[in-house]
Amino acid sequence: MILLKLTQNELYKIFSLVRSYIGIILFTGIVPLILWGYGMGTSHIEAEIESSVSAMFFIEGSPTNGFTAAYFIMNFFWIHIPFLLALVGGDIFAGEHANGTFRVYATRPISRLSIFTSKVLATTIYTFIFVFYFGLLTLGLGLLWHGGGDMLVFHNGVLILESGDALIRFFIAYFFSFMNMVLVSSIAIFFSTMVRNAVGPVIGTMALFIFILMVSTLPLDVFKSIQPYLFTTYFSNWEQAFFDPIPWDDLFRGLGLIVSNIVMYLGIALIIFRRKDILS
Amino acid sequence: MTETELTTPPSGDPTLSDIGTPALACHGISKRFKTIQALDDVSISVPRGSIFGFLGPNGAGKSTLIRVFAGLIAADKGHFDILGNSSLSGHGVRKDMSALVDRADFYKNLSAYQNMKLLGRITGHDSDEHINRLLDLLGLYERRKDKVKTFSQGMKQRLGLAQSLLPNPKLLVLDEPTTGLDPQGMHEIRDFILKIAAEQNVTIFLSSHLLHEVELICSDIALIFNGKLAAQGSMQNIFREIDNVTIELEVEDSKATLDFLEKNDLVTQITPLANAISIEIHYNKIPELIRLMSGAKINIFSVSQRNRLENYFLSLMEGK
Repeated sequence: MILLKLTQNELYKIFSLVRSYIGIILFTGIVPLILWGYGMGTSHIEAEIESSVSAMFFIEGSPTNGFTAAYFIMNFFWIHIPFLLALVGGDIFAGEHANGTFRVYATRPISRLSIFTSKVLATTIYTFIFVFYFGLLTLGLGLLWHGGGDMLVFHNGVLILESGDALIRFFIAYFFSFMNMVLVSSIAIFFSTMVRNAVGPVIGTMALFIFILMVSTLPLDVFKSIQPYLFTTYFSNWEQAFFDPIPWDDLFRGLGLIVSNIVMYLGIALIIFRRKDILS
Repeated sequence: MTETELTTPPSGDPTLSDIGTPALACHGISKRFKTIQALDDVSISVPRGSIFGFLGPNGAGKSTLIRVFAGLIAADKGHFDILGNSSLSGHGVRKDMSALVDRADFYKNLSAYQNMKLLGRITGHDSDEHINRLLDLLGLYERRKDKVKTFSQGMKQRLGLAQSLLPNPKLLVLDEPTTGLDPQGMHEIRDFILKIAAEQNVTIFLSSHLLHEVELICSDIALIFNGKLAAQGSMQNIFREIDNVTIELEVEDSKATLDFLEKNDLVTQITPLANAISIEIHYNKIPELIRLMSGAKINIFSVSQRNRLENYFLSLMEGK
């Protein structure tokens, strides 16, 4: 019961801050713009696809429909969303330190574990809302704008997914993307427990993310042996939801690493927070 | 008081078993920050129903001790009891305590009401009626919908007090509550402390370095220097220990009074002031001096004892 009240408080605080809406406002503006641009610039691609594939398959609807538009946007944004999520996750502890409100909050008869759990839950809920809104905007608006139909995926040749199948695969893709973003939020929370201003955690999260991303993508032998253990290696694993057959083993192996990273970062953050002296 | 009254105390009052249990008892609390020993084996006992002044110069360890029992920092050694509940049993020890530590801080983008609601929700004291009553009590009802960032320091401090009263505490800890306030603001807070202590049966633990403030409202005090407890007890007992005190005499004829005092061996030091005469005298000799002055036909308009606590405080510091 107390956890519910605390989480309610944390969500209230998150949604009372302007920074929590930056990403949502940004996507509300840019996704329709991309969808408009997508409609303007794909007529030649569409003609090319139809001429090469239509001789072998019957494609229902346009090959450059709402599904492919959403797929295209997802590819484009998985590196930008972490930055926007870090704005909220990075502020969740450090912001309270900077405001001095921890002094007020932590004197109440509640455990540090409860405070920590409520903040993690609220950040996770915010992350879910963010990813859900992103999905709703890209897929929902994409389908409304460009219509549905079969989805073409270029992986080891051409894969045509029926619209019902494509929709299910999008849900799978969004789930794995959501878990990746929970990890980003967890890293931001980890940094947030260590400092007393919200700028540091945002920069720290992005610096760590970019550093590990570079190591995980560099095609050098010396890094190859550690790349399977880096979380960024699995950040584009959502694409596998559109493979045929879906490589569930790979997906869950990646998910296992993501979840273990979440547990590690939150575990360290909890230890730091429980031992922290609130002096300001 | 009849037996029936004793066995059925009103809600919020201490039960029979509680009487005699201190509101707050610290047992051998020590805390070290790197090279600084902030608290060194501090033990204090705060009687129930008292307004307890916790004194010490800046950096003496007042805020550190408060932060320990407010749950903001962990002690290296020792434990404490709040209203009979031991800190060894966990965070529940603070269920009947509320603290305003240091200056009052808020979610500045939220209104006074919203800030109250957030904190009240934690302990289930967030009804509109309760919040509005407290805001009204502190004179903030009319501004309840305004964002806190538009508030003056005095208003913030009053809102901090309102927040600290949300859970209907039996022990209210106030750490330098008048810091940063103008004289009127300080006066208002002092009046408010006296009011809630009297009306709501709340034990007040007041940390301050303003000796005059403590002298005005506290019934019991403790003094801390360099992280060590120097003295504690009721204000009456503390003052009994004071030997020489400084008093100011406002008289009709200053010249005649000065002549009289210079010939009198009760007085150890005489300082003429603009509108009065300041003298140093043994505390027990004051009545005798006044008798003698009356006998010498000196018209006395007022005798005021100044800075009793300050004298005591300084004598302790010199002794350290």
